[in-house]
Amino acid sequence: MNIEKKDTKTDGISMRARLMLVIVATLTLEATAIIQFVFAQREIKQEASLRAESELKSAENKIMDIVNQAEAAVHNNIWIAEWCLENPDSLTRIPQLVVSKNPVVVGSTIALVPGYLEKKPLYAPYAAKDLNTGEIKMLSLATEEYDYPSSEWFTKPMELNDSYWSEPYFDENGSDILMTTYSVPVKDKDGKVAAILTADISLDWLTELMQDIKVYPHAVNMVISNSGQIMVCPVETLVMQTNVNEFALGSEDYEALNQVNQAMLSGQAGELPVRYKGQLNRVYFAPVEKTGWSLSIVLPEKELYSGVRRIGMIVKLLQLLGVAMLIVILRIATKNQARYHKINEQKEKMENEIHIASKIQMAMIPKTFPPFPDRTDLDFAAAIVPAKQVGGDLYDFFIRDEKLYFCIGDVSGKGIPASLVMAVTRSLFRASSAHETNPQRIVTAMNDTMTESNDNNMFVTFFCGVLNLATGHLHYCNAGHNPPLILTDDIRLLPVEPNIPLGILHGFSYNEQETDLHYDESLLLYTDGLTEAEDMQAQLFGLDRVEAVLRTRRSSQNHLEALESAVTEFVGEAPQSDDLTMLFIHYLPKEDAPLQERHLVLHNDIQQIPQLATFVEDIAQEKQLGQSLAMGINLALEEAVSNVIMYAYPKETDGLVDVEAYLRKDSLEFVIVDSGIPFDPTKAPEVDLNASAEERPIGGLGIHLVRELMDSVGYERKDHKNYLKMIKKL
Amino acid sequence: MEVIIEKQNDVVTVFLKGRLDTLASQEVSQKLEGLAENASGTIIMDCTEMSYISSSGLRIFLALRKAASEKGGKVIVRNISNDIRSVFMMTGFLNLFQIQ
Repeated sequence: MNIEKKDTKTDGISMRARLMLVIVATLTLEATAIIQFVFAQREIKQEASLRAESELKSAENKIMDIVNQAEAAVHNNIWIAEWCLENPDSLTRIPQLVVSKNPVVVGSTIALVPGYLEKKPLYAPYAAKDLNTGEIKMLSLATEEYDYPSSEWFTKPMELNDSYWSEPYFDENGSDILMTTYSVPVKDKDGKVAAILTADISLDWLTELMQDIKVYPHAVNMVISNSGQIMVCPVETLVMQTNVNEFALGSEDYEALNQVNQAMLSGQAGELPVRYKGQLNRVYFAPVEKTGWSLSIVLPEKELYSGVRRIGMIVKLLQLLGVAMLIVILRIATKNQARYHKINEQKEKMENEIHIASKIQMAMIPKTFPPFPDRTDLDFAAAIVPAKQVGGDLYDFFIRDEKLYFCIGDVSGKGIPASLVMAVTRSLFRASSAHETNPQRIVTAMNDTMTESNDNNMFVTFFCGVLNLATGHLHYCNAGHNPPLILTDDIRLLPVEPNIPLGILHGFSYNEQETDLHYDESLLLYTDGLTEAEDMQAQLFGLDRVEAVLRTRRSSQNHLEALESAVTEFVGEAPQSDDLTMLFIHYLPKEDAPLQERHLVLHNDIQQIPQLATFVEDIAQEKQLGQSLAMGINLALEEAVSNVIMYAYPKETDGLVDVEAYLRKDSLEFVIVDSGIPFDPTKAPEVDLNASAEERPIGGLGIHLVRELMDSVGYERKDHKNYLKMIKKL
Repeated sequence: MEVIIEKQNDVVTVFLKGRLDTLASQEVSQKLEGLAENASGTIIMDCTEMSYISSSGLRIFLALRKAASEKGGKVIVRNISNDIRSVFMMTGFLNLFQIQ
């Protein structure tokens, strides 16, 4: 038998589900990375902006420091200059003073407005500091080639009538030192501008200063003059050669660049994006007071975000790694799942086998109901409702010689071992009851066999009864089982001695009990699966509920079904933990009361045997029986009666044999009664019909023939008499 | 019960007529005692007119069968009615005898 189920869908998470999982994970990681990138970018932008602003501020402060020193150098000497206008010969001393007292000033002049002094129509003594030696030389700017009155440093303050910072310029000495000049008009007593006092400062530190600003390695720092001249720039060819406006004209992003230029030239501070040589740049700019210069830092965005990009790359790598790991983990998980499925399959197979074992076990128990459809005196029903796990409940019954043998049992424990013990117990019951009519002896024999080889300490609670169906007399023996219930008008427990379960103590002497079952009384045998059925709250079904169900009058089968459904309802969703076994015996009055009776009284003399033939003939005539049937009845009666005649009474003593016949509609009942020694012919050993002639004993055929010829044979000893009851169905 | 024993050479034929019940068996048993003692040949039990047999009757058959097999003879049962055949069957005697 192949009960293995092959499930093809058990190879783990489906390919599609795995793909979905990977995609979702990837998308989640990607989204996280993007959000992180955007926020980081914003942070970095702010950070860069703050840094540029502070660098520009610091550079401006440094520039202003020098500018202020230069301005101070001039302003501190203005009053001397005004005073000197009265003594023109001392005017030369003024530039000297300006240069010598102020380290930042490299040159100074006081240039008279042409024609202010008649004797000196052009006069501009100039003090120049040698940058290497620090020595101060006196020169004159009032030369024909130089023409100072048309120089910017002279004309602008004149025009403005105010101090003025000149456009930067290269020193006329030919050196490439960038210079700028601060010029202030000097007024005479009448308030008329008489001369211009100047201080030249070298701007070579400005380049260094700007180079020192290292916001980012590839940032470009620039200074432009008031007019837009590029003063400081890493590209040296542009320095003092190019105006920013010209520069903008030739650029690809003119509009943006022009916007920057205009903002810078108008003295604003701020930041703007500019595309240059295909790269996006951010330009941070701030003005320098007084001079009209503007400082700027140009930062390629690529560099600005290079850190974020690097982190982005790392995140990407981690993502890939993560996804790869996810795939690997999924593969492993799938494999594990497949393995788990395999284990499950094995488990299922095992459960299936247990299920089959349980079925085999159930098959041993008589299950055809009603089991005795012909009997009107017995309404019998029994059932086992097995728990999910194989259990060890059992019942069994059969009728022999007008006696109902029945038993119920519950093996300790559950599972296969319990079920095996249950099978053994049932076999033992059949074996012991095959030749025993007495429940006490049946139980004792079973116990002794079980204790001989009970290595696993399993025991069985067991109840065995033998009900004489002719008389209602019940012999029973209990081995630690629940007391059965007797259902009459009320419900009561059958008084039982507990004794001990089977399989515990070898040689234990079990006590037998007896009672009379009256017509219409029922006996309910059950296992604790009934009374100890648990609901979800672990409450027990209990005997009270059993009794409540049984108060309604029903047939045995209906009682059984009512109890079963009451238990099912009570238990609800809770799993059935134990087998539920019940056995109902409803003892009924016989419907077929005898229509006629015949009696024959014989002496224990073999000579009287032929009278039986006449007796039977009379009955056969009355019931219109065929010759063969009549002969069979005659034979059975003769065997039973001759047995009594020959063995019941001691030799040479007179004794009587009563032969009673009850003629019913569809059966004949014969009762042979004698008051001889107790003798139960039903206990005679069975004849071995297959033995050879040599092996066959001469005796023993009589009772065998009785059993063969009659439908049931029963013996009872009552009131010092032997009763042998035989029934022949018609 | 009427019992007739005929001998012809080595073959003894026993004719049983009537009912072989418990009472009759005692009588028949006595009559066949001698036969059992010299059961070295073939014994034919003719049951054509035997209408009934009880277990004590069967015992006679079995005893004869045992004696014969001890002494090298054999027992043949001839012509049994259906009712008696069924008794033979119930008791397994059909296997013990050669039935004609």
